[in-house]
Formats: sequence, structure tokens, C-alpha cells
Amino acid sequence: MNFIQVAATILLVLGGFFYFAGTVGLLRFPDVHSRLHALTKADNLGLGLVCLAMALLGGSWRGAAMLLVIWLLGLLAASVSCHLVAQAALEPAAEPPTPRGDP
Amino acid sequence: MSLALDGLLAISLVVLALQVVTGASLFRSIVMFVVFGLVMALVWARLRAPNLALAEAAIGAGVSGALLMLGYRRLRAAGPEATRPGPRSSRLAAPLSLLVAGLVASLGWTALGLPEALGAAGAAVVAAMPSQAVANPVTAVLLVFRGYDTLLELAVLLVALAGARAVEGPAGPADLAIPTMTGLPIVGALLAALVPLSVLVAGYLLHAGGNAPGGAFQGGAVLAAAGVLLVLTGRLVPHPVPGPVERWGAVLGLLVFSALGLVMLARGQGMLSMPGAWSIYLVESAMLVSIATTLVLLLGAAPGLRRGPLP
Amino acid sequence: MNLLLEGFALFLLLNLGAGMIRVWRGPSPADRMSAALLFGSTTVAMLLVLAEATGQPALADVALLFVMLAAILSVAFVGLARTRGAPPPTPTPTPGKSSGKPG
Repeated sequence: MNFIQVAATILLVLGGFFYFAGTVGLLRFPDVHSRLHALTKADNLGLGLVCLAMALLGGSWRGAAMLLVIWLLGLLAASVSCHLVAQAALEPAAEPPTPRGDP
Repeated sequence: MSLALDGLLAISLVVLALQVVTGASLFRSIVMFVVFGLVMALVWARLRAPNLALAEAAIGAGVSGALLMLGYRRLRAAGPEATRPGPRSSRLAAPLSLLVAGLVASLGWTALGLPEALGAAGAAVVAAMPSQAVANPVTAVLLVFRGYDTLLELAVLLVALAGARAVEGPAGPADLAIPTMTGLPIVGALLAALVPLSVLVAGYLLHAGGNAPGGAFQGGAVLAAAGVLLVLTGRLVPHPVPGPVERWGAVLGLLVFSALGLVMLARGQGMLSMPGAWSIYLVESAMLVSIATTLVLLLGAAPGLRRGPLP
Repeated sequence: MNLLLEGFALFLLLNLGAGMIRVWRGPSPADRMSAALLFGSTTVAMLLVLAEATGQPALADVALLFVMLAAILSVAFVGLARTRGAPPPTPTPTPGKSSGKPG
């Protein structure tokens, strides 16, 4: 494997680690806000690393520019979504929380 | 590795579908349905059908999700009873579904074993592609080889809009309260970035549809998503009377396509023949406007839209 | 390299499956919604990786589409978690930044 492939592999592994961390945060943290926080931050960093790896592998400037746009839009969408969902979670719930594992 | 990936995708589709249909919480079923659309787009991508993946992403995962969420909000406004799921499935459900699954499996097994049909249309299309004005076979099929179908689909869209209007009545359904938090500056920033970009991406998908996956439908869906965002955040408010933009937008695709077809007929070149790439792009642009307008009006449940008060 | 990319896509799909646990459990609608955010970001990464692995650059367009539509679900969701009949709450005032005006 040449240098680019090695670099892309390292970036992919790092990105995968961040995605894994985000999922673990979603599953294990105690509260909806801490879950949102872990998820948004880790997932978007993972996405950035994956975009960088794909830009390296793709080899064209146009492709790299498209990947940059995708990442920036992903950041924008995730920030706004996280903010809105967190605000919505602050309001009193209209329906009682469903019990875990209900059929 | 591919087998593991594809197998996992197939299994998750089945599991998600089960969750959607048998869930005890309506909201959970909605989220599962959106996820189902996402995984379906991945499946299309794996099946090397990017056109379908684009359409599934735009409609199945994006616009349908918003539609279901809005429907859920209206149901909730009607009272807590309305969102309780219906009675649990009867005892016949399991054996009946197993029977149907077995039938589908045996049909699929038989179909896989059939020999290739002679003179299949797909092979004829691929053979005729080099002489066409566009390089994307899907666009060629939609507009050149099966133009009648696309024309009638545009008519169906218009009829659907008229039908929804007829069912709702002259005033439309009660307005959904726009939540206050959509007045937050962050939402304004999102719209300022996303809406102009949607116009750009819609135009890009339209233009790309000539030689690569894309096309009028996908571009129209992106534009419709931007319009739905504007309606959801209160920047566009429902109005009982449609304005000229809504009226012209809804019929533009049908008008342009039919006009071109009739002009071609009058010139003796056959109805709906496409004299060049320019005609394909012209018709696709008109289709994009129509699709976007129809989708926004349907999702906004509004006969017309006006600019709302700035928050 | 292709094997690595497909393996990474498989890993992301397993992440998706783990995220489904949060949709199943809840307990609040905001929890399920945040799992939907996870799915959006993971799917975008999967599409980018598959675009490189299977040599279909059109999949990057699909990823772009996904990202543009990611915010729409959250905006549609906002306004759900409210007690029926209660007036819409005012947005929580952002703390901090004093405008420097004399009191």
C-alpha cells in the first residue's frame, strides 16, 4: 500500500473510533442531553475524518471540494438539529415515557 | 465481506419493517419508518441504482419523514386518544404472514430460475443509447422512450393535488401552531444557508441528470424539501387562495411537455419526440418546478402560500 | 483497500444496528429523535465509503442529498413534546453575552 492508502486507512480507523464513541455515548449516557452532546460531537468529527480519507483516496480536487461541502452541511444540519431537539426535550412531555423494551 | 454487508442490510430491512408495523408506540414506528427509508437508499446504492437511491433519499427518508411527523402533530392536537395504536393483531396474523412470505419466496425462486427474456426492452434501450442526446439511460427512458408515461405521471400529480384540495375543503385543515423555538436565530441561519443552496443543488441534479444519475424528480424533491422547511418554520404561511406562482407552478410541467409534444406533432416529427438535448432540459426544468410546487402545497396542506411574518 | 472500505461500511452498519436499541428503548421522543440523527450521519458516511469502494461517484450526490434533508426531520419534530393545551413556551434565553449597555 502506498502512502496515500496508509494515510487514508489511519483516518478511517480514527473516524470509526469516533463513530463508535458516539454510539456508545448514545447507548450508555444517563440523560437525553448528554446523549445528544456525545452523539453530535463525536459523529460529526468522525464524518469529517471519513470525508478526509475519501478525499485522499478520490484524488480529484472536485471530489474533495464536494466532500468538504458535504461535511460542512453535515455540521450545520447536526448543530441545528441537536439544538432544536435539546430545546424540545426541555419541555414537559405530552405522553408518558414508554417503558423500556415494550413490544 | 460484501455478502456480510448485503446480508446485514437485508436483515435490517425486515427487522425495521416488522418494527414499523407492530410497534406499540406510534412515534417509534415513525422513526423506524424513516430509518427504513435510509437503509432502503443504501440497498439501492448497493444494487448499483444511484437514480433510485437519490429518489429514495429525497422522498422516502426526507419528505415522507416530515409528512409523517406533521401528521402525528395534527393527531396529537386532536387528543391523546388519537395517537394510541389500534388493537393488537389478530391470531391469524402470524400464519397468514408466513403463508404470504412463503408464496413470495417461491415466486422469487422461480423467477430467479427463468431464462433471460429474448428481446427485452432493457437491451434495446442500451443498444439505442449512443444515438441519443443524453447519456443517462434512465433519463432517456423517462423522456424519450416512454415520454407518454412521464406526461401522464405529471397529470396524475396534478389530479392528486386537486384531489387533496377537494378532500380538505375550501379552507384547508386547521393551521398547525408554529413552535416558538423556530424563531431562534439558529433556525434563521439554517434557512439562510440551506434554502439558496437547495436551489443550487436542485439545478445541479437537474443538469447532472443528462449524463449521470439525477434528473427532474430528484431536483424537484430537494427544492420541495426547502419549501417544506420554510412552511415548517413559519416563513411561508398557508393562505386560502392560491396565488399565480402556485397556479402556474402546478401546471407548468404538464403544459410545457404537452406543448412541446404538440409542436413536434404539427411539424410532422411524431408526438413527444425530443429534437435535441435542449428540449429534454426544457421539459425537465418545467417538471422540476411542477414537482416542487405540488409537493410543497401537499405537505403544507395549503391551497396557497404567502410569506409569513418575520419572527 | 476495497476490502477495508467494505469492512468499514459493515462496521458503520453495525453502529446503525446498535443505534436502533435507543429507538427501541426511548424513553422519550427526543431520545428516539437523537437516534434518527445518528442514522443520518452514519448513512452519509456509509454512502461516501461505498462511493469509493464500488466506484460510483454518483453516491456522493446521494450523500449530499441526505445531508440537505437531514435538518427537515428535526424541524418537523420540534413542537411535538408539548402538553396539549399548554401555551407554546418562550425559547430559553441565551445566558451570558452582555451587550455592554449601561444599566
